[in-house]
Amino acid sequence: MPSTATPSNDRSRRAAVNRRRASVTIATSIDFTPSVPPVILTARTPPMFSDYSWYYEIPTTTAALLMVAAFVGFYWVGAVIVRPILRMFVRRAPGLNDLIGYILSCFCVFYGLLLGLIAVTAYQNVESAEQNVTREAAALSALYEDVSRYPEPHGQNLRWLIRDYTRYVIKYAWPLQQQGIIPEEGTIRAEALFDRLLDFQPSTPGEEILHAEALRQINHFLECRRLRLHSVKAGLPRAMWIVMFVGAFFNILLCWMFDTRFLTQLVLGGILAAYLGMMMYLIVDMNQPFRGEVSVSPEAFELLYKRMLED
Amino acid sequence: MPVPTANLPLPRGALSRRAALRSGVAATLAASRVLAPSLFVGCSLGIPPRAPTVRIGLLHSQTGPLAIGSTSLRDVELDAVERFNAAGGILGYAIDPRAPDTRSRTELFPKRATTLLDDGAVALFGCWSSGSRKAVLPLLEERDRLLFYPVQYEGNETSRNVIYGGQVPNQQVLPALDWLRSGPGGERKKFFLLGSDYVYPRTTNFIVRKWLAGTDAGIVGEEYFSLDTKDFAPVVTRIRESGADCILNTVNGAGNIALCAALAEAGIDPAKVPLVSTSISEDDLRSMPAAHVAGHWVLSSYFQTVDTPANAAWMAGFRGEFGQDRVFGDSMEAAWCLINLWKAAVEEAGSFATEAVRQVFAKGIGFDGPGGRMTIDPATQHATKYFRLGRVRPDRLCDVVVSSDGPLAPDPYPQVAFPGWKCDWTKGGLEPGPEVAIDG
Repeated sequence: MPSTATPSNDRSRRAAVNRRRASVTIATSIDFTPSVPPVILTARTPPMFSDYSWYYEIPTTTAALLMVAAFVGFYWVGAVIVRPILRMFVRRAPGLNDLIGYILSCFCVFYGLLLGLIAVTAYQNVESAEQNVTREAAALSALYEDVSRYPEPHGQNLRWLIRDYTRYVIKYAWPLQQQGIIPEEGTIRAEALFDRLLDFQPSTPGEEILHAEALRQINHFLECRRLRLHSVKAGLPRAMWIVMFVGAFFNILLCWMFDTRFLTQLVLGGILAAYLGMMMYLIVDMNQPFRGEVSVSPEAFELLYKRMLED
Repeated sequence: MPVPTANLPLPRGALSRRAALRSGVAATLAASRVLAPSLFVGCSLGIPPRAPTVRIGLLHSQTGPLAIGSTSLRDVELDAVERFNAAGGILGYAIDPRAPDTRSRTELFPKRATTLLDDGAVALFGCWSSGSRKAVLPLLEERDRLLFYPVQYEGNETSRNVIYGGQVPNQQVLPALDWLRSGPGGERKKFFLLGSDYVYPRTTNFIVRKWLAGTDAGIVGEEYFSLDTKDFAPVVTRIRESGADCILNTVNGAGNIALCAALAEAGIDPAKVPLVSTSISEDDLRSMPAAHVAGHWVLSSYFQTVDTPANAAWMAGFRGEFGQDRVFGDSMEAAWCLINLWKAAVEEAGSFATEAVRQVFAKGIGFDGPGGRMTIDPATQHATKYFRLGRVRPDRLCDVVVSSDGPLAPDPYPQVAFPGWKCDWTKGGLEPGPEVAIDG
């Protein structure tokens, strides 16, 4: 069949483009002076109030101090402003101070239990994410070993793809996960690996066994990968956060109602508020397994990639 | 009865409420003075500064039959971007590369390109076949963005929105024909043209026919095959019967494996009837048994074996990141040069804006790449390229047999094939000649 590709096929389009270019050149001669790049996708200023992601970029110590300071500060400000109003009710009813003390004790037990359970849940989330990451890296490592026994060039092609995936996870996926973003391009690499593995047609019984094992490993790897991606957005539900913060507020409210000397109020209430702040910090920090300084690291993938490069 | 405590005198040394409040306020003010800079204006709180980002699009097939070659181009470009970012980015902006998968399907190239441009990509790098490049051209022209195309192609095209980094026929096939007809090349007179059935092989062979028409050499056969052809035995028989002393091969993709196998099985001696391939790289050679390919010839601008310090440094750097067994080919080198040229142009322009970058290319800008210096010709926006002919070794790398003295200027419209067609973007752009029908 003769080809119909001719320069003239494009002639009218090119002529139109030439005409447009001519006009563009004239138009842009005014603003040709190098200017600010046109596309700026991320600004320096973090959106402090619309998004709390900036919190996870704060160094651990600063974040802990900030949370404690917020709780203690709130308590102290309330002690100065709200406490005199609340104390009036307490003083009018003799014996109410003892009752408040009793209620505060009960409340602290229930609230402490709640916080403890939530902290354990958050910790388990982190641990589970860490286990998924380790399992994913282990499955990848086993797969790498399996395909290294494939005849060439299949083995080499598959090794390249596994290395490519591992490198992507370390260099590109992890920073995105740390921002709470689910990385997308890893899926392309995983698909490419799966496709390439399926391309291989075993020709001996030994290759058949090896191929079956490689397929089992890749399925396990894909499962762990899906779990890792799922944990990127994992976190406590909004209702739980509301219960926690409302509980903390009631705790502080009861302390404000307690009728003691002012300085005692500041010191004892401050200690309680500081501890509440510490607990909140702990839960917030562990809430998202891949975010913050204390989070799941890509170490398992880094060790694997280092070994792959040494091969 | 509880004792009222409000009006009792304070014990000696005890703090009065007023004094406590005063101390508290003083302490708060002092703390605010210390913490205010980090809590309010210019708030950093120890958050590491993050550079603003500029996005680019890497348009490559990562799955499907074109994946192996295209993925290597993506890796080269990612390597370059990582180096740019490690050195502080470009104009203080970190480069954010996005690499969607075009799945080796031509119709997906414009779709992915649209998404990338919608997401703010300032330039695109990639495409593989001429079909994929032509598919994104209208979009590039509509949005006025640049595509940096790193693959050798047939010429017969000039766009203000493409910087062409691969060889065109006057830098690859035509010098090869001259050499093959000369004494050192074996004084070959009978050429058999083999190609895949699409625009690149047909246009290239059209140019070859026109070129050979004015010489004492001739064409003894010309055949085209679909990209998935696996049986080349019949055509090898016809090649033998034709008495050809050289096979010019523009077959693309996996078909080359079957072709080389068929030639080897038919006992065609590469020393007497060499297969001279335009679309085989070191990446493709990995997939072929050494016995099938050793001794045949490959046309390229770059080979992994090019012995220059720049090439050694580039390969070492890339292998340190991606693995010691990675091999290098012509398109990879072109991709590396193009992305570095883009960086140089942006820095010289002081802007990522398309027109500003294009104006720098219009001045003629060059880069010392692993295979030699590449300069973008302002008239055509094509690259100057070395011509190299390599012979495949038993280890499936290539020894450079012939090399041009320096980079050859590009001519996308060889006058022997496209009389009257000219392009000079510095003097008004494309001047179309008479219509040319390309038939095979």
